[in-house]
Amino acid sequence: MKSKQAMDTFVQETGGWVAAQLEACTRCGLCAEACHFYEATGNPDYAPVWKMELLRRAYEQRFTFSGKWKQALGIEKGVTEEDLTEWSRLVYEACTVCNKCAMVCPMGIQIGPLIHEVRSAMAAAGVVPDDLMKATQNQLQVGSPLGVSDDMFEERLEWITDEWEVDIPIDKKGADTLVVFTSIELMKFPTNFAAIATIMNKAGENWTISSKGREVVNFGFFEGSHEHTVLFLKRVFDAAKELEVKRIVISECGHAYDAFRWTAANLMDVPVDIEITHILAVIAGFIRQGKIKLRNEAHKNGTISFHDACKIQRRGGLINEPREILKILAGDSFKELTPNREQAMCCGGGGGVISIKEADPLRFAAFGLKVEQMKKAGTQSVCMTCSNCRLQFSEGVAHYQLDVKVRGLSEMVADALV
Amino acid sequence: MNWTEILEFSRGPFFNVALFIFVAGMMYRLVRILLLGWSRDRVPGKGSKLWGSIRSFLKGILILPFIPWVKNTFTKNPITYLAGGIFHLGLFAVIFLGTPHMLVWKSLLGFGWPTLPVPIIDFLAAAAIVAMFALLINRHIHPVMKRITALGDYLNWLLVFLPMVSGYMMTHHLFFRYEVLYSLHMISVNILLIWIPLSRISHFMFYFFSRAIHGAQFGKRAVTP
Amino acid sequence: MVNKTIYEELRSAGYSRRDFMKLCSMVAGAMSLGGVPLFAKSVSVSPEKELTKTVAKALQSNFRVPIIWLEFQDCAGCSEALTRSQSPTLVDLVLNKISIEYHETLSAAAGFQLEANKEHIMEAYAGKYVLVVEGSIPTAEDGLHCTIGGRSALDILHEAAASAGAIIATGNCATFGGIPKAKPNPTAAKGVWEIIKDKAVLNIPGCPAIPEVFTGILSHYLVFGTLPALDSLNRPKTFYGHTIHDRCLRRPFYDAGKFANSFDDFGARNGWCLYKLGCKGPTTYNSCATIKWEAGLSFPIQSGHPCLGCSQPGFWDGGGFYQGQSAPLDRPTATAVGAAAVAGAAIGAGVALNNRGQKRRVQSTENKRAE
Repeated sequence: MKSKQAMDTFVQETGGWVAAQLEACTRCGLCAEACHFYEATGNPDYAPVWKMELLRRAYEQRFTFSGKWKQALGIEKGVTEEDLTEWSRLVYEACTVCNKCAMVCPMGIQIGPLIHEVRSAMAAAGVVPDDLMKATQNQLQVGSPLGVSDDMFEERLEWITDEWEVDIPIDKKGADTLVVFTSIELMKFPTNFAAIATIMNKAGENWTISSKGREVVNFGFFEGSHEHTVLFLKRVFDAAKELEVKRIVISECGHAYDAFRWTAANLMDVPVDIEITHILAVIAGFIRQGKIKLRNEAHKNGTISFHDACKIQRRGGLINEPREILKILAGDSFKELTPNREQAMCCGGGGGVISIKEADPLRFAAFGLKVEQMKKAGTQSVCMTCSNCRLQFSEGVAHYQLDVKVRGLSEMVADALV
Repeated sequence: MNWTEILEFSRGPFFNVALFIFVAGMMYRLVRILLLGWSRDRVPGKGSKLWGSIRSFLKGILILPFIPWVKNTFTKNPITYLAGGIFHLGLFAVIFLGTPHMLVWKSLLGFGWPTLPVPIIDFLAAAAIVAMFALLINRHIHPVMKRITALGDYLNWLLVFLPMVSGYMMTHHLFFRYEVLYSLHMISVNILLIWIPLSRISHFMFYFFSRAIHGAQFGKRAVTP
Repeated sequence: MVNKTIYEELRSAGYSRRDFMKLCSMVAGAMSLGGVPLFAKSVSVSPEKELTKTVAKALQSNFRVPIIWLEFQDCAGCSEALTRSQSPTLVDLVLNKISIEYHETLSAAAGFQLEANKEHIMEAYAGKYVLVVEGSIPTAEDGLHCTIGGRSALDILHEAAASAGAIIATGNCATFGGIPKAKPNPTAAKGVWEIIKDKAVLNIPGCPAIPEVFTGILSHYLVFGTLPALDSLNRPKTFYGHTIHDRCLRRPFYDAGKFANSFDDFGARNGWCLYKLGCKGPTTYNSCATIKWEAGLSFPIQSGHPCLGCSQPGFWDGGGFYQGQSAPLDRPTATAVGAAAVAGAAIGAGVALNNRGQKRRVQSTENKRAE
């Protein structure tokens, strides 16, 4: 009864907000040109409007006369299990929910969030790619999609504090700020831990991390499952409440910022007196307030470009901050990619795509567009504020054998501290 | 039955019925959406959602139609942008700034307004018709369009095209007598009026919803697309 | 009175042969506006001269045709227009001196005497006389809304039409019902051809009909003994083949989009198009723009007033004389539209609530499943 479960979810998720936008679509097809998956492959199935086709069909067949007639007359089929299987691949492997399509749509339809609704239906029907579900299961059972257990976390943290000789307060009750990291940073980019800790300490911030709320990545969010999303959010919120902090800082992660800052309050009861922000905003704030000082032109590795992460820049609004920082760090060596800022092109690895092995060819194909961008700008180094992007870039640059350095912005700031 | 009688019918009772169905249908579509349930947004915004929506409207009406190339996807899909734009421009010009249609509005609303000279309207109408052909062909050969187009989309094209071309023929007295062309124009207009609330052509009403939502989403995050 | 041919009649009235040929060429000219068969088999003779000769031959050999002119629900305007016609030679000779045997307004005699004459003509010239009808025929309540000498117009018409050689309805009232037929049409007024279905009725609409059009048609009948080619509203194509719009002197202004916005404004004073003031020229078929009125002196548009469309059916209910020709007839009232809106909203609300019910049911099933 998978299709029934999917249809039920579609029905449940469809209120005025969804319906009005579905009614507004004119089938103009312009969204395709904004999608990096379509651009990289030319496959019309990857057109954003096609990815949300099941949602449209469900809406029309359940809520409108014309949809009901079309189904009754056999002009349109209902949503079958085959459809679910096919679309599962489309919405999980060929979409990063970057929402660039929404920028291009003449009607302004928020296609990204609508595709997220399709994921919800898939999750309810249990038609989710195995790799992604495995990561979700890991996070459910062990607390991290990469399978990092409590013990592993403790071990790793010890190693980091030793290796970089940096002070990282854990479970400090009464701290002002709780910083939550990703297990990607823990395992793949441990310098981030060191960098951010250094910055926080230099700025004199009363901060801590939590051993219980230690994972900011939310695979429930990628899966589209309301239940799992809330569960993972709750772990961090509970930790924050327990430690009586005033704000939660998301480290270099994109979708977590979207989930915590821009979505959580509509999914569950969030603590009202706890501010939610991103490390990028915090660092920029420190610089503006003079709490930390950076060496001018600290970056010496050639032309540097900034990759706007979809969930932090386009969907998060922190667009000027990285440029302010890079102005200090790189001055004239900074070269914008084209397009950039809120129009920027997705790295191709977000939305959980990077966790699905089957999607590798696709995400590398999409990354080809970033390669073109960097070549055109003459980029020698590229930096970003999202670890998922950083992982995609690292793997992508290796795949294309590019001579480009991939850096995290927090790292660069920490390196340039005066 | 002669064409003078057909003309009287299509301008009179048939038009009335079509207008009723149009009004009732559009209200139906509107209320169906409005009462479907709108959940309150409990996320605190960084910027103003209201200003975001206003900005989105202004940009959509004042800027994007005239300099569509500000969208960086323009170069990848110039036909849809240009033909779509020219079609809409011609449509609005003819319907609101063309003298014959202004007189229709005047009889319905009670007041009229100045209109553009006939040769200009004529040119825009012809351009819009050419644009329609371009859009039809594009819909047939572009891979994405082929994927997402259904029968209803072709029907939409046809029912919008017929009033345009019959109106143009009428103005230029092409091929048939005037009352024949006028009748055909009125019949096609009436059919279109009836079809609008049953189809995607009603997007002009939902435009306001989607654009407001778009603006609010970005305004909330203090992003100015 | 009907023993002499038209030519003999003219000669005895003092007209020379020269005058007669002039008349013939004028008649031929009136008919050669199209729709008349050309006889130019012999190349040496021009078509116009041929036609004149044909006319002359006809008038010389044909006897005068008696005309019975009936007036019903009319204003006598069509007759008045004829008598005021500025081409006395043509009209005077064709009508006054030659043909009319019965005419309420114009005949000197009246009452039973005149009626008796009519009976006599109908009998003596059965199948030959021309019946001209002016004014609409009321059909409500057995036609009692118009009676002459105690008999209803309906009766009189049926009787006169039965033995007529040709039937001509002149003026918008006799052709399409005219002003009596305007809403609410209390007398159920009808045009002649809506009542007489077994014989051809030639319609010469207009309010009034253009006199030269009428005499041109009559000339055609006198010369050829047949009615000319008719359009789908039984109007002679010769005179009703083009719209006012297609022959209007202000047409260039229409094409250029220069319209008068109100009477006596700049545009009006400069002779611009009167489309915005409600001109019905585009849908009106008549010869006003070519033959014009008062021997070609002017016609409404030329004098600054929009065409009323007076030769079209139902022009009184055509949306108003000053409402644009493109505007819909008979638009619905605001209350009616409001009612439609409310109806649509109500159905929309019903469907929306049903849809929300669907959502609730799904939610409760899910809650049950979660428990």
